[in-house]
Amino acid sequence: MAASIKFLGMQRTVTKTDSIDMPITEKTRVNDALEYVRQRYPELPLEEGMVLVTVNLEIAAPDRILRDRDTISFLPLIAGG
Amino acid sequence: MKILHQIEYKPAKVVGGYTDRILRVDLGKPEITIQKLPPDFKNKYIGGRGYALKLIWDGTTRETHYDSPENILVMSSGPLGNEPAFPGTGKFIVGTISPLTDTFIDSNIGGHFGPILKRAGFDALAVSGVSKQDVVILIDGDARTIAIAAAPAYDKETDEGALSFGERLLKEVNDGELNDSMAAVTAGKGACNARFGIVNSLFFDVRRKRLRSKQAGRGGTGTVMRYKGLRGIVVRSNLSKVNANNAIDKEGVRQAGSKLKAVVSKCDTQQLHLSTWGTTGLSEYMDKFHLFPINNYQYGQSPESPKLFAQVFLEKYFDKKIPDGCYYGCNLACAKGAENVKLTRGPKAGRVVNIDGPEYETVGAVSSMGIFDPHFVMEYNWYCDEYGLDTISTGVTISFFMECVQRGFLTAADTGYELAFGNIEAADRLLHEIASGTGFGKIVGQGVARGKKWVAERHATRNGTSQDAVMAELNKFGMEIKGLEFSMYITKESLAQQGGYGFALKGPQHDEAWLIFIDQVHKELPTLEHKANALKWFPLIRTWFNATGLCKLPWIDVRNPEAASTAEPSKNIPTLEYYVAYLNATTGSNKTLQDVLDDSERLYILQKLINLRHGKGTRASDQIPQRAIGPAYFNEYEARAEYYDEWLQQQLGDKLVPASPEQRHKLLMEKRAEAYQNLCDIVYEKKGFASDGIPRRETVEKFGLMDEQAKQLLSRLGV
Repeated sequence: MAASIKFLGMQRTVTKTDSIDMPITEKTRVNDALEYVRQRYPELPLEEGMVLVTVNLEIAAPDRILRDRDTISFLPLIAGG
Repeated sequence: MKILHQIEYKPAKVVGGYTDRILRVDLGKPEITIQKLPPDFKNKYIGGRGYALKLIWDGTTRETHYDSPENILVMSSGPLGNEPAFPGTGKFIVGTISPLTDTFIDSNIGGHFGPILKRAGFDALAVSGVSKQDVVILIDGDARTIAIAAAPAYDKETDEGALSFGERLLKEVNDGELNDSMAAVTAGKGACNARFGIVNSLFFDVRRKRLRSKQAGRGGTGTVMRYKGLRGIVVRSNLSKVNANNAIDKEGVRQAGSKLKAVVSKCDTQQLHLSTWGTTGLSEYMDKFHLFPINNYQYGQSPESPKLFAQVFLEKYFDKKIPDGCYYGCNLACAKGAENVKLTRGPKAGRVVNIDGPEYETVGAVSSMGIFDPHFVMEYNWYCDEYGLDTISTGVTISFFMECVQRGFLTAADTGYELAFGNIEAADRLLHEIASGTGFGKIVGQGVARGKKWVAERHATRNGTSQDAVMAELNKFGMEIKGLEFSMYITKESLAQQGGYGFALKGPQHDEAWLIFIDQVHKELPTLEHKANALKWFPLIRTWFNATGLCKLPWIDVRNPEAASTAEPSKNIPTLEYYVAYLNATTGSNKTLQDVLDDSERLYILQKLINLRHGKGTRASDQIPQRAIGPAYFNEYEARAEYYDEWLQQQLGDKLVPASPEQRHKLLMEKRAEAYQNLCDIVYEKKGFASDGIPRRETVEKFGLMDEQAKQLLSRLGV
């Protein structure tokens, strides 16, 4: 099983890729995905309170279990122009 | 330059953010006077939008239109503008009766003009009357003179351009040199020929060593300026920018500013990166969530959108090394620009220009025309600024006419050429025709609301159908409310943002309420009650920014990490506390955030009264196009059928959704229209209005606004 982690905006500039796949098990959670990315790209800023994590375009809690082919993104906190 | 009228004056000192003076210029007489304000004026009307509202309320009537001599063009910063120790203090607003909405409009604008005007001794400038000849106003705080002069004639190309004319004008009054003790506002030839003319704010950027420009884009303020015969205004003051507000508690200002700068510095580079790529970064996020307007808001996403993402502009156009604040001290620095861009289209093809922008809205205006060429975005941006046209209204109106062609309401015989989505050559041609008031551009320059009437009449006559029937169809996709074209966000999937646009007093511009992500993505507004509360709270706090001379972005687009532990993170209250501290330190007040909201509500109600006076203040004026509510046509429904079917099933509960997609689409639209009406009811109640959208007497009285005019107005409305 695998989940896809999509990189947006400036994240793409840092990671130099649109997305990566992450192998998951039945116990892998959103927090594990965050940690996976942090370890692979320590220069990518993903501090708590700075980004929202979405799974399949829906805001996801840190303890949410991931499923096969889920798509994870890290969004900035956009609140208006 | 030939001086037509001039006075000498002693500039009032700024104390606690105010000079307590308004400069009044009547171009008809001509006459220049300085109005000293009573002490309670600033307490009640704050500044900026508040001053503009009060001057318009008192100085105009329900018979006043944009081209009435008594219409007033107000430019005003506010008590908190003009302070480099705090980020985002270069804003001022331009307010007037709009040629598009026929009621009050204001548009905020960055640059140095507002701060320098204040240092030259004025909290606001109010221009009335219509000049018999084209003129400029020269406000010189150093020479202590204010003059109305005949507009200088350079050469045709320079005279027609807002940017070109402004640069020559500034050089002429300063012995051929540009420096940052001066600034100007100008309007170009497009503002003479279209209802959506803009005011450009020109300022000298010491880092780029050139003039830069920001724009008061919405509602046709530039059209009013040009109608008055006013080509430009120059202000000058050599007074120091440091502590220029003469704050009551300078240390308090420094502390509040330091805290906000620290948050901006730490967080922007982890969030939206406005300091790197300006607001163009939004395009990608909007596209991802089906919010990016494609083909006149029919679709919110396109495979071609990545051609317009921020990285493209950063790599191809933006200068990456220069901090780009539009006023001193702003470390968010989002005013991106490009140097030495070669124009490839239009009458100035081949010329190399510097371009300030694009902002997200300009990018969205181009995608709304179905165009995904970044170089066209740059050229469109520059030409609109030079002509003095609003990039938003220009793009949305062209998009509307493109869809009229797509749906068979118009043909090439009507437009003069093939006007199809994605046709760059046609869009480019039309842009120049709008600016010069020629060909089909003469029609398009009137905006969507008037465009609908023109199309309905033409189509009905040709086909022998009723104009009302055609109009009903055009109302589905003519993206305007109250006469103003939508800014560049699709609202089909966010009920809260439908209200954000529908209830916005000036028309569908997001500076009153931008709830789309909070509602649709963050899911922070799950119930009607949540949405209604947000639709009261956000317009009030945003009004305050427009009254005080402040940019909203350091608050709303840089989330303070401390907000995460608050009840409503999207309000970013920890950062707002810095703003309240800054207000108190500057003016010597002792206000709370609730006091600030109450002050704003007075202005909000006053603006509502002006709307009512001009026939734009009832529930009927808050109704929005079907496309803003949901997929107006079946093709739009099909593109997001899965989402819409799920939403419909949620509404129906245990009942089965209709079997055919056509039936589902029909029922969906009925349900969404019903939801919007339910929202109207609850929002009006929260705002102290009756169900017809008119404020109750006690609401007007609560804020001390029940003067004789208000009494008569409410009586006439049966309140």
